[in-house]
Amino acid sequence: MKTSLLAVTLSIIMCLGARADLKWEQTSIELHPAANDKQAIGHFKYENTGKTPVHFKSVHASCGCTTAQTQKDIVPPGDKGEITATFNIGDRTGTQIKTVTVETDEAPNQKTVLTLKAEIPQQLEVTPNFVFWKQGDKPDSKTINVKVGKDFTVKHIKVTSSTPDFQTKVEEAGSGQFKIDVKPQDTNKVSASMLTIQPEDSQKVFYATARITNAPAAPVAPGGPTAPARPSAPTGQTH
Amino acid sequence: MKFLLVRQAAIIAALALLPAAGEAIYFRDKISWRSSIAPGEMVTVDQAGGWGDTAIWVDARPDDEFASDHVPGAISLNEDRWNELLPQFLAGWSPGKKVIVYCSSLSCNASREVAHRLRKEAQLSDVFVLEGGWEAWVKKNR
Repeated sequence: MKTSLLAVTLSIIMCLGARADLKWEQTSIELHPAANDKQAIGHFKYENTGKTPVHFKSVHASCGCTTAQTQKDIVPPGDKGEITATFNIGDRTGTQIKTVTVETDEAPNQKTVLTLKAEIPQQLEVTPNFVFWKQGDKPDSKTINVKVGKDFTVKHIKVTSSTPDFQTKVEEAGSGQFKIDVKPQDTNKVSASMLTIQPEDSQKVFYATARITNAPAAPVAPGGPTAPARPSAPTGQTH
Repeated sequence: MKFLLVRQAAIIAALALLPAAGEAIYFRDKISWRSSIAPGEMVTVDQAGGWGDTAIWVDARPDDEFASDHVPGAISLNEDRWNELLPQFLAGWSPGKKVIVYCSSLSCNASREVAHRLRKEAQLSDVFVLEGGWEAWVKKNR
C-alpha cells in the first residue's frame, strides 16, 4: 500500500513538473471575417507562470498565407504577452484552418501548435466555373449553377460575356439559386470568354470561363492522355 | 527491495500512459489540418516525369516563391490570387491533359487545396497532387 501511494505521489509530482510554464489562454481561435475583409487576425495570449524565463526559439506558420509575430523573444516569469497570427485571406473560401507552431526552450513541452480557424463567407458559389466545348462539338448550351451563400440575400444577378462568341441567359431557380445557360455561337474556331457574374447591388464580382478548346490529338499510349502543345507560362507575374 | 522498485517503476509508467492514451483518443480526428486526399490522387515525381508533355504542372506556392524558381513550364495558380490566375490556367488547359499540382514540401497543404478547387469548382478530372512537392522535384531533377 505504501509503495502504491508513493508511486501515485511521484507520478503526480512528475506530471506537475512536466507542465509547461508558458500558459496559453487558448491554443485555438475561431474567426468569422466579413465578406470583404482582406485579413483575419488571431491573438494567442500567454503568461509565464513558471519561475524561469521562457525563450521563443521559433514561430512558424503552416502556410505562406499566414504570418505570426511575437511581441518578445524572452518571456520573464510572471510576464504576459501574445502571438499575433495574421491570415491573408486572398481568394480563399469556406473553412480555413491554419496553424502556427511555437517552439520554446522549456522542456518537455517545447512545441505548441496554435490553430486559427476562419470561416470565409461566400456570397455566391459558382459551379462549375468552367464550361468548355471541343472544336466541332454540337454547340448545345451548358449550365452554370449559382448558389447564394447562407448569410446573404441576392435577388438578381447580372452576367456579361467578354466576347460575343458566347451567349448567356440567367434563370432564377428559387431558394437562392440561379442557372446560367451558356451557349457558343459555333464551335468551329477556338475561342474563350470570361463571364462576369455580379449580384445586384453589390460591388463583388465573380467569374466563370467558357472556352472552345482544340480537338484532342490521338492518344500517345494505350490508356494515356493526349498531348496538345504545352501552354506558355502566364503573363503578369511580377514577383 | 529490487522487486519493489520494479513494481514502482511499472506503476509510474502505467500512470504516465493513461493521459497519453486519453489524448491520443480525444485528438484522433483533430491532429491533421491537411485536406484529405485519396491515394490515387497523389503522384510521385517519377510517375509525373513519365507523363511528359501530356501533363500541365501547376505551382500552388505564393507568387514570390514561384518567381524565385519553379518547374519548367509550370503555371502559377495559388489561392492568394485565385480569381485572377484561374482563367490563365484554364486558357492553357486542354481536355485529356493531366494536371499536377505542387507546393513547397511534404508538409504543405496548398497543392491539396488547389487540386480540390480544380476538381470541385472547375470540375476537372485527372488532377493530381505531387508527393513531396517542390522539394521532392528539386531533389530528383537538380
